[in-house]
Amino acid sequence: MDGNNIQNKKKLFSKINRKITLLFIIVGLIAPSIAIFYFYNITVDSMAEEMIEESATLLRTIAIMIIVLIAINAGVIGFFLSKSISKPIKSLYNATKEVEKGNFDVRIDIKTGDEIEQLGHAFNTTTSALGKMQEERNEIDNAKTEFLSITSHELRSPMTPMKAQLQMLEQGYFGKLKNKQKESLSIINRNADRLDNIIQDFLEISRIEAARLKFNFKETDMAQTVKETIKFMEGFAKEKNIKLVEKIDEIPIIQADPDRISQVLRNLINNAIKFSKEDSKIEINCELKDNHIQISVKDYGCGLTTENQLRIFEPFYQVENANRRRHGGTGLGLAICRGIVESQKGKIWVESKENMGSKFSFTLPLEPVRDIKPIKVLFSQKGIIERKIKEEFETELGPLGSIEFEELKNKNAINKDDIFDYINYLVDKFIIPADRGLIFKNKLDIIYGELK
Amino acid sequence: MPKTILVVDDEPDIRQSVKMILEKNGYMVITAESGDDCLVKLNDVKPDLILLDIMMPGTPVSEIVKKITDIKIAFMSVVRISDARKKGLCTQDNIVDFFQKPFNVTDLIDRVELILSD
Repeated sequence: MDGNNIQNKKKLFSKINRKITLLFIIVGLIAPSIAIFYFYNITVDSMAEEMIEESATLLRTIAIMIIVLIAINAGVIGFFLSKSISKPIKSLYNATKEVEKGNFDVRIDIKTGDEIEQLGHAFNTTTSALGKMQEERNEIDNAKTEFLSITSHELRSPMTPMKAQLQMLEQGYFGKLKNKQKESLSIINRNADRLDNIIQDFLEISRIEAARLKFNFKETDMAQTVKETIKFMEGFAKEKNIKLVEKIDEIPIIQADPDRISQVLRNLINNAIKFSKEDSKIEINCELKDNHIQISVKDYGCGLTTENQLRIFEPFYQVENANRRRHGGTGLGLAICRGIVESQKGKIWVESKENMGSKFSFTLPLEPVRDIKPIKVLFSQKGIIERKIKEEFETELGPLGSIEFEELKNKNAINKDDIFDYINYLVDKFIIPADRGLIFKNKLDIIYGELK
Repeated sequence: MPKTILVVDDEPDIRQSVKMILEKNGYMVITAESGDDCLVKLNDVKPDLILLDIMMPGTPVSEIVKKITDIKIAFMSVVRISDARKKGLCTQDNIVDFFQKPFNVTDLIDRVELILSD
C-alpha cells in the first residue's frame, strides 16, 4: 500500500488529478459537442446538394478542432484546479505520516485561502498539542525515575545506622547485657531485618510498575546459573534435610540476566522448602522448549487450595497453613517474580494439588526483551476471573444468572469447588439438564485454568 | 602502628556508628561528610583505606574517585553493586570492595581486616 502511495508522490497525475481532470474534460465537452453536432446537422440539412461534399469536410474539420481545443482547455484548467486541491492534501498526508512515526515537530504551510488551509491550521494546532503532551510525559517519566532513586536512598538510609547500633549493642560494644536485654534486642533486630526486606521488596515492585526494572543482559550459560543457584540453596534445604534434585537439559548460551533468573529461582526454591516437610525432596527442572526455556520447581509439600492458587501471585498474599502459622517473608516474593518474568514476556504459573504438592514453573525467552513495559502487579487477576465467571453464569442461566452469582459471592462461595457444588445442585433439582451442567462446568474449568 | 581509615558519608549517624565500630577494633578513624570534604581531609593525611558513600551532596562521587588513585577505596552504599558497575564506578584498580548498606558489623570488620592485611 505504502509503495503505491510513494510512487504516486512522484507521478504528475495523482488519483485526484486524474479524476478531476477527466471530469472537467467530459463536462467541458458535453455542451459544445451537442451544440456542434446540432449545428452541423442543421447546416448540412440546409445546404444545397453540391455544396455538401466540400463544406462537409471543412465543417467536420472545424468541428473536430473545436472539440479538441475545448478538450485541451478543459483538461488544462481541470488539471491545475485539481492540483490546487491535491497538492495541499498530499502535503497533509506526508505530514500525518511523519506524526505517525512520532515526529510531533512537523508543521504544514498551506496558503490556498480556503477550507483546506483551515484544515492545515487545525493539523498544526493538533500536532503541537500532541508534541506538548509527549514532552509532559517525558518529564513525568524522568520525575518518576528520580523519585524512585531518591525514595530508595531515603527509605533505606535510616536502616543502616539503626541496624549497626543494634548489632553493636548485641555484641557488647556498650557493656555486657542482661538476658532480658538480649532477648529484647533480638526481637528488635529481627523486625528491623523484616522491615528492611519489606522496603527492598516494595522498591522492587515500584520499579516493576514503572518499568524501571534493570536487567543486565550478558552471555549466560543457563544450565550453570541454575546449578549454582541450587548449590546456593542447598544450605537452607539441609536445615530440613530436604534433597534438591536437578534435571537440566542442554541449553545453548543465550543473552540473559543470570542474577534476575537466579533471583526468581531462589524465591521459588525458598517457598518450596518452606512448604515441604522434613526429609522430602524438591525437583528442579530446566528444559529447552521450541522458542523458550522453562524452569520449574516441584515440591511434595502441603499443596495449595484452589483459592490460594488463584491468589498466590498477589502482592502481600500469604498462605496460612493448617496450624495458622505464618511462614515469615514479605508476601511480595511471588509478585516480584511475576514482575520479573512478565517483563521479559515470559509466563509464571503454578500447578498444585492439596496435600500432594505444588509445581511452580516460569518461562524465559531465548532472546532478551530490552524494551521493558510497565507490568501491573499491584492489581489482582481475581477481578478478571470473577467477571468471566459472572458472564458465564448469565450465559447459562439467563439474566437471573448474575443475581445467583452475586448471592454466591456474598456467601463467599465463588471458588471452584463451591460453584461446582452449586451446579450439581441445579442438575439434581432438574433446574438445568445434566448435559448443560457438564458444559457449564467445563467452561468454568477453562476460566479457572486461565491462571496459567 | 594502627592503620587509618577515612570514613566518608553525609549522614552523621553512619559516620558515628562506623567510627565507633572501627575504633573498637583497633583502627584510627577520620571522617568526612562529602566527596569535597574527603579531598580536603586528604590534603592533611593519607589513610590506608577510604570507606566511601556514593550518594552524597556536592561533586559527584564518580568525579571524586578519579582524583584518588593511590589509596584503597571501598564503597559503602545503598546503591546496588550491579548498578554501580553499570554507572562505571568500579573501574579503577584501587577500588577493592563494595559494602551494601545496611551492612553487617562482623562482616564489615572481617572484610576491612582482609583489605588491610597486606
